[in-house]
Amino acid sequence: MAFVEQHIHDAPTSFWSKYLFSFDHKVIGKQFLWYGIFFLGVGGLMALLIRWTLAYPGTPFPVLGPLLFPNSDGIVPPDTYAMLFTMHGTIMIFYAITPLLIGAFGNYCIPLMIGARDMIFPTLNMLSFWFAVLSGVVLLASLFTPLGAAAGGWTSYPTLSTLIGSPGAGQTLWLLALFILGVSSTMGAVNYITTVITLRAPGMGYFKMPLTIWGIWLTSILNAIFVPVLGAGLLLLTFDRVFGTTFFLAGAAATSGKGDPILFQHVFWIFGHPEVYILILPAWGIVSDLLSFFARKPAFGYKATALSMTAITALSTVVYGHHMYTTQMSPLLTQSFMTLTMLISIPSAVFYANWLGTLWKGSIRFTSPMLFSLGVVFVFGLGGLTGLYLASTSMDLYLHDTYFVVGHFHYTMAASVLLGGFAGTYFWFPKMFGRMMSERLAKWHFWTTMIPLNCIFTGMMLVGYGGMHRRIYNPFIYEFTQKLIPINTFVTLSAVAMGLAQILFVWNFVHTIFFKKEKAPDNPWEVGTLEWEIPSPAPHYNFKEIPVVKCGPHELGNPNVTGKDYQYQTEELVKA
Amino acid sequence: MNTAVENFSVRAYRSSVAMTVTLISWGMLFAALFLGYFLLRFNSAMWPPVELENLPVLLPTSASVLVFLSSWSYAYYQKNPPRRTLFLWVTLILGNAFVLNQVLLWNELKLAGIVVQNGMISSMVYAFTWLHVAHMALGIMALLWMGSDHLRRKEISLLKVINVGKFWHFLGAVWFLMYLLLFIL
Repeated sequence: MAFVEQHIHDAPTSFWSKYLFSFDHKVIGKQFLWYGIFFLGVGGLMALLIRWTLAYPGTPFPVLGPLLFPNSDGIVPPDTYAMLFTMHGTIMIFYAITPLLIGAFGNYCIPLMIGARDMIFPTLNMLSFWFAVLSGVVLLASLFTPLGAAAGGWTSYPTLSTLIGSPGAGQTLWLLALFILGVSSTMGAVNYITTVITLRAPGMGYFKMPLTIWGIWLTSILNAIFVPVLGAGLLLLTFDRVFGTTFFLAGAAATSGKGDPILFQHVFWIFGHPEVYILILPAWGIVSDLLSFFARKPAFGYKATALSMTAITALSTVVYGHHMYTTQMSPLLTQSFMTLTMLISIPSAVFYANWLGTLWKGSIRFTSPMLFSLGVVFVFGLGGLTGLYLASTSMDLYLHDTYFVVGHFHYTMAASVLLGGFAGTYFWFPKMFGRMMSERLAKWHFWTTMIPLNCIFTGMMLVGYGGMHRRIYNPFIYEFTQKLIPINTFVTLSAVAMGLAQILFVWNFVHTIFFKKEKAPDNPWEVGTLEWEIPSPAPHYNFKEIPVVKCGPHELGNPNVTGKDYQYQTEELVKA
Repeated sequence: MNTAVENFSVRAYRSSVAMTVTLISWGMLFAALFLGYFLLRFNSAMWPPVELENLPVLLPTSASVLVFLSSWSYAYYQKNPPRRTLFLWVTLILGNAFVLNQVLLWNELKLAGIVVQNGMISSMVYAFTWLHVAHMALGIMALLWMGSDHLRRKEISLLKVINVGKFWHFLGAVWFLMYLLLFIL
């Protein structure tokens, strides 16, 4: 199919068309960035409330406690605690990380990195953002319903989420909010997939795409396929709550003719396990690129990394059963799911080894994006390895529903993705806003995040291994958990430290955007992907002329190139 | 400044990719519903369950005929939209007749004592048909959108005709599957 470029549209002039209802992928990317950061703050505050309760149950939460919980003198009540961990998980996964990694970087990077002028469907793109806003409003509104927000956990298993477990409107609004967000994600996925397939610049084959694009593209494929599965589950659960259907009512289907709560678990995890990869693939892609850029050498095993990510994407669709080992699944099935899950470690090991290969003998520049990328390498190693314990049926039966699981998935889904998100933010910030964030503050931010983060999640795994249940309100009430209180206190103090460290980021981010005068260079990091060939910030049309790609994205450290140690993708590859 | 005009085949290719991805997404929504059906069926000690034996067949069968005719009529329209506008209106009428048929089906189910609260099977019959009708309503709106183009003598976009057609045939296929699984097999 011949390449035909997009038209250059006129620059928007009014405030509404420029900043609110913009069709420009870059503006929409920034909107998602602000959206994600806002919800990161909300979810982070909820995390602190949860951690405070675990370390100091019965003690008022400092400063905000009396304002938030005046009826209990500032103490988080048990039912509110259940709402907090539910909303924390929901917000962090769907409203913070997803918009940051997929919404912000997907929107911002895809057209710029593949040499396009915009997404293929700009209107759909704008609608996708405003659907996400609507969803966020509905979710936050659920906090103010008479019986409070959803409290059945982020997985919302029936019967916790049916009318019996959650009689209020909060759970119904939760379902509605997630359904709307699913529509938004699916719109985004259709747009991303089609854009990557049809709008790549001439010469940019799939194996000349930056790995960031590979990650986001694969994520979009998973989104397009599996978000509707969750949508179906959410609709059926809504029908149960609103119209009185009996899909998930307790009572085995075979004996009573009523519903089956386990059915929801199937539907949820068919979506839910790929969701892990939906979140992490963009971070893997970003890190794979940044390690090469800042090690000043080509990505080791580029094709193998891309194909490993593809293999992981494919395998992620057939392993969901490992979340359900304790549902009286047939041993034949548990063994099959265990084997398939273990298989994922093979492509994971391939690209992990490639990361290390990229770093090996590199001329490493310890910039803030690189520090955060190295942080991902470290925490994903820990998160990935602890996943093997949970993949094993026998170990999982012991560790299921303990804080070990919480520690594990925070290492993979929270730590890796969050650090990857920060790496991407520091890296593309100059292109987005035309200013450089303070490197000194960014490095402080890295260390003050990285150290407490590991204290938190390692501590969680320790208390989980000691048997602490993941949704316990007060660990003081059981004798065996009382011994874990010092670790819980340590984890909480680490969480407070990590929370405070984010002030450095917010200050750096806001101050640079609104108050810093000095302009960023067009290519401050000295790398060769397409977005760094255009001015900073990127103009509304991206490229005056659509670039013709002649080499890969990681042509760094070539001794035959003179005057610089990298090549732009539009330059002929210099050979010896 | 290079601003080459996009040609039709490129736009058709792009829209075909997008529509394929969209239909896969929609297909997965219905696939998840059918998964629930299969899980229930394979775990059930007795099939069909007592409540399923009383399900009406006449209305769903006539709905299938309506869907088939509407798909045929649309396919005929699609071959030459400017000259076969009549068949777009026929499709629209058949689509509306299908929706009416479903309303009658729900009424008949209710009169037979089969209500949503009865159990999982009746829940399935209602929920699946609700969701399908909701999508049919979307399809009907799309047909009306094209119909209004004809009425205003606006040039008909062939891509629009193709894409709405894909969606309409997709809904027909989903109905046939529902019909077979819920009412026949």
